[in-house]
Amino acid sequence: MDVALIYKLFFLLPLVTAGIIACFLRKKHTLAAVFSVVSATVFSGLGLYLIFASERTAWSVSWLSLGGSECRSFDLHFGVLFNDLSALMLLVLIIVGLLVQVFSLGYMKDDPSKARFFAGLSIFMFSMLGIVLADNLVMIFIFWELVGFSSYVLINHYFDKPKAVAASKKAFIVNRVGDFGFLLGIVFVYWQFGTFNLVELEAKAALSPGLLSTGMGLLLFCGVLGKSAQMPLHVWLPDAMEGPTPISALIHAATMVAAGIYFTARVYFLMTDEVLNVVMWIGTITALYAAIVAFGQNDIKKVLAFSTLSQLGYMVAALGLGQYARSTGHGVEAGLATGAAVAMFHLTTHAFFKALLFLNSGSIIHACHHEQDIYKMGGLSGKMKLTFVTFTVGVLAIGGFPFLSGFFSKDSILHLAHMAPQHGGSSVPYYILLGTAGLTGLYMGRLYVVTFFGKARSDNADHAKESGPAMVIPLLILAVLSVIGGYTSIFGHGFDAVFHSIHVAEGSFKTLMIITGSLFSVGGILLAWIIWNPKKDTDALESSVPVLFKALSKQLYFDAVYDWYVIKIQDRVSLILSFLDQLFISGLMVRGTAGLVGVFGIISRSMHTGNLGGYAYWFAIGVLVLGAIAFGTFKF
Amino acid sequence: MTIGLNEFLVVSGILFTIGFVGILVRRNTLIIFMCLEMMLNGVNLALISFSRYNGSMDGNLLVFFIITVAAAEVAVGLAIIVALFRKRQTVYVQELNALKN
Repeated sequence: MDVALIYKLFFLLPLVTAGIIACFLRKKHTLAAVFSVVSATVFSGLGLYLIFASERTAWSVSWLSLGGSECRSFDLHFGVLFNDLSALMLLVLIIVGLLVQVFSLGYMKDDPSKARFFAGLSIFMFSMLGIVLADNLVMIFIFWELVGFSSYVLINHYFDKPKAVAASKKAFIVNRVGDFGFLLGIVFVYWQFGTFNLVELEAKAALSPGLLSTGMGLLLFCGVLGKSAQMPLHVWLPDAMEGPTPISALIHAATMVAAGIYFTARVYFLMTDEVLNVVMWIGTITALYAAIVAFGQNDIKKVLAFSTLSQLGYMVAALGLGQYARSTGHGVEAGLATGAAVAMFHLTTHAFFKALLFLNSGSIIHACHHEQDIYKMGGLSGKMKLTFVTFTVGVLAIGGFPFLSGFFSKDSILHLAHMAPQHGGSSVPYYILLGTAGLTGLYMGRLYVVTFFGKARSDNADHAKESGPAMVIPLLILAVLSVIGGYTSIFGHGFDAVFHSIHVAEGSFKTLMIITGSLFSVGGILLAWIIWNPKKDTDALESSVPVLFKALSKQLYFDAVYDWYVIKIQDRVSLILSFLDQLFISGLMVRGTAGLVGVFGIISRSMHTGNLGGYAYWFAIGVLVLGAIAFGTFKF
Repeated sequence: MTIGLNEFLVVSGILFTIGFVGILVRRNTLIIFMCLEMMLNGVNLALISFSRYNGSMDGNLLVFFIITVAAAEVAVGLAIIVALFRKRQTVYVQELNALKN
């Protein structure tokens, strides 16, 4: 079959699915859900064919052409650039996407607007696919906005809850802030290079590195700040947990928030060392901040949200740390730059274990009748055995327990950070990231101990029982992937360009990693058991240092500062601007022009009397004036 | 005194002016219509005078055209006035101001 045809089918399938559900199946909820899952299965099959059986390819059609042939024309293309990097991201998208759809069959079984949910999921798959495959920056930007839109729709699923509405708006608006810079960055790139196409850009950037600048990279990175929720635009992600849990797993943990990482990896050749330095610090600080704040959260999904933030921080830090690997020159010829490859590796394993953890939390929340407070759970280990086992795998994987998936990827990031001082970098990021790994083990241990052990702290938790097969089977598959996902050889040779650039630690550093990994993951759980004894009904930190706990539960007052800024400064500035707008733009220019024309209208209307004699007079005056001009009475 | 071109032109001008003033001031459509005819005839007179004065037949030719067209115009115009009267029961222009709205 023709490659272009396959790609067209591949693109259209989720979009058409969403369209059919939205137009015809809105009231037929079960049918819509089944249809969506079947379509996702076909979609995944096509995707697997493209990833493993077809050649890596680039394909594009002209979409919009402005300007003629003589002047410099401006062409927009709709195209696909399918290389090892996008294949890896596509693999993550279809695996997690399909499992989440199946999981949703169980989780959303009793939801009154299931059809809308599944239509939203399909739209999301379409938009995310666009980002993964796009071969130019404008197309990436369009689909970037589309994932923002689908995220908005899906966070807003329970739109009768004011908090969900506020969260969806916040997610959208905070992303707008980042995307403004992103758009400027794209324009900047076009201004310097005269093209949007990624392949041409890479060639031109290699040919004339002088065209690259720090401003360009930072502006492009603004989009990543918003989408991947890095400091200081991280505030939307914890709130986005108001959406249904499968959405949190797919969009706000595994794929959409990782799109920023993927994008940076895709345009890594545009990032100068100065930009990567900023990127590294932002990632490192976000990782640490989120890990600290996670201790102040009692909502199971909020803890996982901050852990996502923290892990995204790791990936961003890996992107930034790539500057040191790049300066030594290794790995560049082989394919992707080392920093980007390591970040993508962590993205992949993180997608598996974080989707696993989120779906587990979904299973727990479903069993506890939508109770999300971990201090109202407890004792679930005996009641939900399969969920307990898979959650344990997830906690160990994120904690970096040796030879689980999280160990390998986190190890390669820490290795990069460890190497930094040898190439003139600071050693501070290494210690921060290592410390964050310890904190990760501890806060996940707290979540794990409080949720699963002790006795049930509410009736809902007391009556919890294991979820149905539609929910448990995805959990088991993800648990297996979380265990083996770190062995790159299981993926075959399709992703060599990515995986061959990764350098794993050897020798004494590897021993150190194994020791710290076991210490942080298992030790974290044991220490958590001592501090947050599951027999207690209240948080140990809350009862011993309430001030600190309050600060942490308020996320170190980022939201308060932003509120203050918006209300006290931005609103006042916009009030002034609004006044000026009303006065000059709207009053003088828009209404003024209309008013002038209106006055002429009134004057000429008064001449229009309908009286024949009147017209004859005007006619006579006209003749006289014309005559006077003809005879030269008036000189012009 | 001899009657020359000037006198004819003055009479033609007077005829035209009477017709024009009539159109301006009269209210009755029929009168206005007659005034219109008078203006045409004023022009006709001027054309014939010039034709005679120049010794060419061009003016006379034009006059025949005007008379023909005026005859047709009268037929149409009167028909319109009759139709108007049937519809509105009036021939006074101040009442025929439907154009305004």
